[in-house]
Formats: sequence, structure tokens, C-alpha cells
Amino acid sequence: MSAKDTIVAKATAEAMAAIGIIRISGQNALSLAKDIFTSKEIKGDIEARRMYLGQVSTKNFKDKAFCIYYKAPNSYTGEDVVEIQAHGGQTLLDGIFRELVSMGARPAHPGEFTKRAYLNGKVDLAKAEGISDMISASSEAEIMQAYRLMQGELSKTITASIEKLTEAVAGLEAILDYPEELEEDTRPESLALIKEVKADLEKTYASSKNRRYITEGINISLCGLTNVGKSSLMNAILNDDRAIVTDIAGTTRDVLKENFMIDGLKVNLVDTAGIRDSKDSIEQIGIKKAKEAIQGADVILFVMDTSIEETDEEKALYNTLDKQKTIRVANKGDILKYPRKADVLIEAETGKNIEKLMDLILEKLNVKNLAKSTTLTRERHIFAIKSAIESLDNAIEVYDNMTIDCILVDIKQALRRLADITGEDVDEAIVDRVFSKFCVGK
Amino acid sequence: MAENKKYDCIVIGAGHAGCEAAYALSKLGKKTLLLSLSLEALAFMACNPNIGGTSKGHLVYEIDALGGIMGFVADEATIQTRMLNLSNGPAVHSLRAQVDKNLYHRLMKLEMERTSNIELQEGEAVELLIEKIPQKEESKICGKIVGVKTDMGAIYEAKTVILATGVYLQAKIITGENVRCTGPSGFKRSEGLTKNLLDLGLDIRRFKTGTPMRVLKSSVDIDKMVPQYGDLDMPNFSMLTENEVRNDAVCYLTHTNLDTHKLIIDNLDRAPMYNGEICGTGARYCPSIEDKVMRFKDKQRHQIFVEPEGADTDEMYVQGLSTSLPYDVQEKMLKTVKGLENAKITRYGYAIEYDCINPLELYPSLELKKYEGLFAAGQINGTSGYEEAAAQGLIAGLNASRKIDGLDPYIATRSTSYIGVLIDDLVTKGTNEPYRMMTSRAEHRMALRQDNADFRLLEKGRELGLVDDRRYEIFQERKKEVKEIFKALKKRYKIAEVQEVFTKAEVSLPKNSISGEEILKRSQLNYSHLLAINPDFNKYSLKNLKYVEIEIKYEGYLEKQTQAIKESARLEELKLDLDIDYMKVDNLRIEARQKLNKVKPLTLAQASRISGVTPADITVLMVYFRKRQAEKNSK
Repeated sequence: MSAKDTIVAKATAEAMAAIGIIRISGQNALSLAKDIFTSKEIKGDIEARRMYLGQVSTKNFKDKAFCIYYKAPNSYTGEDVVEIQAHGGQTLLDGIFRELVSMGARPAHPGEFTKRAYLNGKVDLAKAEGISDMISASSEAEIMQAYRLMQGELSKTITASIEKLTEAVAGLEAILDYPEELEEDTRPESLALIKEVKADLEKTYASSKNRRYITEGINISLCGLTNVGKSSLMNAILNDDRAIVTDIAGTTRDVLKENFMIDGLKVNLVDTAGIRDSKDSIEQIGIKKAKEAIQGADVILFVMDTSIEETDEEKALYNTLDKQKTIRVANKGDILKYPRKADVLIEAETGKNIEKLMDLILEKLNVKNLAKSTTLTRERHIFAIKSAIESLDNAIEVYDNMTIDCILVDIKQALRRLADITGEDVDEAIVDRVFSKFCVGK
Repeated sequence: MAENKKYDCIVIGAGHAGCEAAYALSKLGKKTLLLSLSLEALAFMACNPNIGGTSKGHLVYEIDALGGIMGFVADEATIQTRMLNLSNGPAVHSLRAQVDKNLYHRLMKLEMERTSNIELQEGEAVELLIEKIPQKEESKICGKIVGVKTDMGAIYEAKTVILATGVYLQAKIITGENVRCTGPSGFKRSEGLTKNLLDLGLDIRRFKTGTPMRVLKSSVDIDKMVPQYGDLDMPNFSMLTENEVRNDAVCYLTHTNLDTHKLIIDNLDRAPMYNGEICGTGARYCPSIEDKVMRFKDKQRHQIFVEPEGADTDEMYVQGLSTSLPYDVQEKMLKTVKGLENAKITRYGYAIEYDCINPLELYPSLELKKYEGLFAAGQINGTSGYEEAAAQGLIAGLNASRKIDGLDPYIATRSTSYIGVLIDDLVTKGTNEPYRMMTSRAEHRMALRQDNADFRLLEKGRELGLVDDRRYEIFQERKKEVKEIFKALKKRYKIAEVQEVFTKAEVSLPKNSISGEEILKRSQLNYSHLLAINPDFNKYSLKNLKYVEIEIKYEGYLEKQTQAIKESARLEELKLDLDIDYMKVDNLRIEARQKLNKVKPLTLAQASRISGVTPADITVLMVYFRKRQAEKNSK
């Protein structure tokens, strides 16, 4: 079964590259390929999944190329698919593309190959969502996350929970449907399974709190009195001279924003105006903006100039900050001479200990290796898991005091929420499980 | 030639489905012919001597609330009553009656004979008479039913026909190497109808079920087994039953052992299920003993309940030993079982194979998609069980009558009845084995209890014309009393008034006063404590007191269920036209398009329950639905 029209698109990015791929999908893919591609290696029919070296010809040019045919349904879209790998120049690829369109192929809409894969049952919804996330991803972590969704990592995690819950439910349902015949007491085992699933889901859910870090990045604000070296630190982190550095206090009047990556996560770094009582109206605006940036930060780097004595002003500023979010960064000097509490000692000018500071940031947010773990990035999934956890909580709470029919109201609710993610039919699975596991029935 | 007799409806088969269908039609004033291969087989209980049990009890209560006959006759023929699941929660309390099989058959036959509008007739239907309708592209209709031809050549004309052939279509009974072409207990089987159904283009399949041997009570050593008595003070099925039901029969529990299992395994090559003789699809729901032994090899023993077949016979049913092993193996098998060592077999166990139709051929009204006016109910639709059959019979009878009157069919919903769950499962998901009702299939189980079946269905039954004045009055009385009880429960009691009862029940005393409602709310207390505190409540019926207690005690869970029903109601209300060609709906996955075209769901909710239709497909359908609505409105 395939859609009526055959679609074509460049599968590689619009950039200079050594090779470029044109992809064709639909019922005419093979005949189009035969029209545009010739090879001495082809004897009779084009074999599926074999790479042929040959020649691609258009009205205006001929060039060497490879051609691979994927026969329906064993292809990405589930339809007949042909890929032509040619040299990477855009003019060349555009030429092949236009030739195919003139021969009757339709330019594909964005995401149309994936959509066809989905319609033909080649990928499930979670995977399709993963693919679309990947295409629009902006950080490595986001790509990794999308990749994991696409690979069905989330489906796998959820499927494992569904599996366990189905088992727990089947044990309880067997009691209700076969009260006389079921000889074993399934209650303790079911409870253990439910608790296990709840713990698993909580772990997955906890990671959703970090979801924003993956999709939007981490917000870090530099904060401190004027002229303590915030801008130098920013430059050190970014490794260039983005911020103007002078030794005149109050140089940074606006809020500077920069992006960089740590551990695969995007970071939005904000350098703010040094905070002081200022009469300068422009500087005042800067200070106001700085305060806002500090409010929205996930991590605040409180920079101190340790070449001088700690002042009351410094103490006062520190006290206005959210201590949970704040890392005390000692800059410029010898902490022994003017001792104060610091989480890390750096030298912004030389870049010393910047790595250590980065590590501290990840630790502070508890996001080490986040880019490499499965995180819930879709609102739909987060909602489903959250409500499943709530339902399981209810069930566990009354497990020993309520009758089984009541307990099952909540457990089955949880099961349905999870099934919403993968689209499984859980009701039939429960019945199957009852009969595969227990010897019941007259 | 005599002129053809004319009927509103012909019911083919007078089993549990057929009788209930005819009864419903008669109530609705429809002239009905009830055709049976053998009147001796009318409402014959071919397998176990029980009516009710888990989820099946619920069905019987629902049939009764809709003016059906099964519960009433069952009560009359009951010889022992038990309430299963008493400790597992109110939703699953399930009444199960041991029934006198002969008495049940005789009483039902008499009812059918005496009910006006029903003509009882022995005869075999061999052909359905169809008037062809030129087929429209979008519709599935190929023709319209106009009558039935019998083996004698008689032609009966009818506006509607209900197929309720049970397990009789091309039935084959198998005991070891012995194969007989008859229905259950040697009754005549139906010969010609299957071919006719195939010619009509219906999807026919072959299913299999089975039954254990029967033994003579005098040859059973009951002292070696555990007696099982009926429960005291139990309700009965029908609201019409006035006399207390009989409850004096005794059943006996014993077990198989490793010797039994070894004997079975040693003779497996002679078991039709394992040597290829049987090709029908068997039900996991009623496995044979050879199935149980093979599938659960670790089990040391399997339960056997020895149950009386009736009060007028010494034959006993050996529940748990359903088998199609040869007769000599069956005899040896019993010798290994405690209490049955010398049991004399009166009838051997057997497997039975029969033809049935794929229930995906049906709409939820139980009318066939391809033939107007033709309905099907009972085991022909791929179900198992007397109660499942009767429930479908009632709905088929009702909807055949509505068809004649030009009214929309009554579609039982999942949120109001087990009947709704049963039929929706059948026509939406189909089944690959004989389908058994189970409480786990009802997602709104807390709301679908035995004790509130009349609250759920009786008013609807009245509106549909199924519930007569007597039932209706009894229900009005019940509603009135329930209301009074709720009112009386507002009364508050001082500590001194409850102290004695609370202390005895080891329940903490209230701070100040406590109302009757609050007393029932407490999980350790029930209506009997309330009766002890305030004997005034004795004037109310136990049935109503228990009902009110459940409504109060489980209020939170009932509320959750109501919420869930409301959520699903949104999709239930979105009606899908039957002429939609899903192949043309963009963005639906291909598998979903094919499944939707096959099932032709009536609502978006039904569509969502089709296996292979995902939540994403439903979202697509919703968008399509809105677009279609908008187009319709703009026209």
C-alpha cells in the first residue's frame, strides 16, 4: 500500500559537502531511477539493497553516482525507496532533483518521508516525534535525546513498566475472575511489582525536570560587584573577547548573552552589569536588567575580587542571592591574604580552573551525563507519567485496607496512562496474561 | 400449496439466546416463530449445571433489569446459591446458582409455550431467504432477509430473522477416536445452514469447546471429599421472584494428583487436541484437563468440583475434568482421584466442534452488516456460556423489533452494562476463540455491580417497552425505600448510643456525635452494626441496606469511575457515519484505515477500541470528523 504520488527530496543539507543524496519514495521510485540512472552492473532487475556504481544523466550533464534500491515494505518509508548518491555540489544535486520533478516526482514537504513511514506503520508515534525533534534540535543533548526517542528508548522504558504492571494487574484480576480456582495468593507479588514500577517511573519523571536544560539550555548569570572580573571570566569561558574589559568600574552597562556548550548541554551565559548604587541612569537600567537576569538563572556565578578585603557591600549583595543556585567564585587572587568562603578559585585572566568551575556547575544542577540519559522531553509523555505515578501512589496507600476491585481502579488507570504513550491495547494483554500465567478456567 | 405463514421474526434455535430473543419480541408485541431442531433441547444446559458466577451473575441481573426471563427461571430451578468474591469487593460480588438442569429446561419450555406471540415449532432451518438489493459502492449491504426455509420444505416469511444456532452448526462430538456427527448429548445437529451462510458470503469459522464426564452419585465416595454448602441469606437473581430459592444441594471438592497427570501424559497421543483430530479453536477459558496438565507442568494438582446435575437425578457433573480423551482413559483417570475411585461414568466427556460467524460481521445492534433484518445472537457469534448467549438474545430480539418498527437500534454501552462490554468487545475486536465474559474486561467495573443493575438499566428497559408494570412498580418501591434510607442515615447518634457497638467492634469512638452515614463510611463497620445501634433500620430490606452501604462506603471510587465515564463519554457522543470510506482519510495509518473499514464503528469511542487503531489515529479522525461536520453545516 503506498500513497499515490512519488516524492523526491535532497536528503543531505544545503551545504558544500563531498557527497549529496537524493531520495525518492513512492510507487514510481524504481521506474524513475531506471530513467535517470544507468549502470553496466545492472543485469535484468535492479536488486534491492545493493549499491550500484553507474551514471546519473540529466538534460544538461552526466556524472558518476551510486544508486541503492529499497523494496517496499523494507524501506524507511515502507514504500519503494531509491537513493542516489552523487557528488556534493548544490548545482549538481539541484539538477538531478529538477530532472526527477520534471519526470513526475513531487517535491516532498518537510517531514514527509517520516510521515509516510509513520502512516505505513514503520515507526510509532514516539519515534516519529523523536525524528521531528532531531531535525529541529539545536544542541548535542537535544539531538541525543531525540535520537533516543527515535530509537524507542522511551518506548522501551515505558514498555517495561507496562509489562510489569500488566503482570501485577493480571495477578489481581485472576483472583476476581476465578475466586474459587486460583489457589495461589498473588497479592504480595503484585504489590512488589507495583512498587517497582512506581520507582522506575519516578526516576524517569525526575529526569523531566531537567527537560528544559536539554531543549532550552541552562541559564547562568554572572553576578558580583563592579569590576571584580565578571567580563573577564565570561571571556575566559568563551575563550574570546566578547565582552569589553577595562579596569573602569561599571564598564558593562547592558546584559551580554552568549551561548556555549558544557557536557553536550547548551548554556546561555549572561554577563550582567556590576551592581552598585549608581546615579548614572543608563547604568541603572543595566543594573535593573542584571537583577532580572539573576532571577531567571539556573546557576549564579557570584564573582569576588579576592585581591581586596571583603566589603559589607559584597556581603549584602551575596545575601540577596538564592544560595541554592549560587556558586562563589574567587577571582584574581590570593585567598589566604583576604580570606573568605569560596567554592572555586580561578584566574579569569589566565583561564586557570575554568574546567573545575564547569564541573561545579554540572554538579550544582545534578545534570552530569544528562545528555547521555533518557529524559522526557515531550509534554504529553510527562503528563502521562506524572498521573500514572499519582495513581500508583493511591493504590499503594490503600493496598492492605481496600478491596481488590477498588485498588485496581487506580492501577488500571496508571496502566492506561502509560499505554497512551505507546498506543498499546492493555485490556487484551491483561486477559492474555491471566491465562498464560494461571491455571484457571473450567 | 398452502399459503406461507408470516411472522414478524423467526428465531432459529431455542437455546439460551433464542428463548431470550423470542421473549423480548413477545413483550414488544411481535409475532415470533421459535424454531428448534429438537424441543427436548430447548434451553438445554449442555455443560455445567450453574447459572451466574463472576461477571455472568452480573449479566443475569442485567437481563432481569431489562425485563428478561433467564433470572426468573434460574431462581425457580436453583438448588444451591453461593455469592462468590464476598471478600474481594462490592463490584465483583457474584451470585452463582447450582441449577436443576431438567427443571430449568422444563420451566423455560413451559414459559415459551405459554407466552403469547411466541409459536414454538420443531424444525430445521436450511436456508435463509434473501431479497437481493443492488449494492451501493459505500454500503456493505448485499440483501434483505425475507424468510426461512425448513428441511421439510416449508417456507416461513418474516420481516426479521435471528440466528441463534448455538453449537449446532455442523457439530462434531469427539471422545478419543470416537467421532459423532451430532449436537451435544446426541441431539440432532444442523446440516444445511452452514453452506447457506457461506454462500451468503459470511466469514465462517470453526470453534471448539468441551465438557467433562458425568458420574453417578451412588458410586462416588463423598466422605473422602470436601463438602461445599450454599451461602446463607443470599439474594436471588430476579426481582420478580417472591419465594425463597432452594439452597440444600451440596457440591464436593477433590483434586487430581501426579498419578492422574502421568496417565494423561502417557495417553496424550490418543487425545484429539494433540493428535490433530480437532482443528477448531479452543477457549483458554474452558481448558480440558489435558490442556491444564500440559500447559502447567509444575502444578501438583488441579481442583475438581463434583456438582449435582439436578434434584431429580443422581448424575453429577465433574467440573475441572473437561476432556476429549478416549472413554477407557477417562475411566482410568477417575480411578486415580480421591473419592472418584469407583465412580461410574454415565456420560463420557467430549470435545465439540461447531461453525460460527466472525462477530466483526455484526453491528453493535447484532444485525449483520451485509443483510438487513438478519441478526445473530449467542454462541454463533463466537461466545461461550449460557449467560453471554441470553444477553445477546435479549438485545437481538429487542433490535429486531425496533427494526420492524423503523426505530433506531438500542446500543448497550460499556459504561452502563456488562451486556454493553460483551457486545462491544465482540463487534469491535472480534475474537479468535470462544469469548467468555470476565469482570476484568469491564473498565467501569465499580459502576457495573449486581446490586445496582436495575438502577442502571430498568428505566431504559421501560422506555424500550421491555419492562412491564409489575417490574416497574417493584423498582419504584425500591427507589423510594433507598431514598428513605439515605434520609434516615442523616440522624446523628451520641457517643453513649454507639459506645457498646463500637467497643465490641474495636473501633475508636467519635469525638462528639456520629451520623448513620458516617458509621457506614467506616471501613470496619457495616449495616449490621447500624442495625444494632438503631433497630428502626430493620424495617428496610437487607438488599437495599447493603446497596446504600456500598454507595456510601465506596463513594470515592464510584466518583472516580463517574469521572472516567464522563471522560469517555466525549468520544461516545461523536457519531461516525457508516458510509465513510476510511481509505480516503488522509494521515491515518494504513493499518488503521483497513481495520476501520472492516469494523465500521458507530462512534469515535468504538473506533478507539479497535486493535491496531492508535490514539494518534483517533486524533486524526477527530480532525476529519470536525471538518466533515463543518462541511455538512455549510451545506
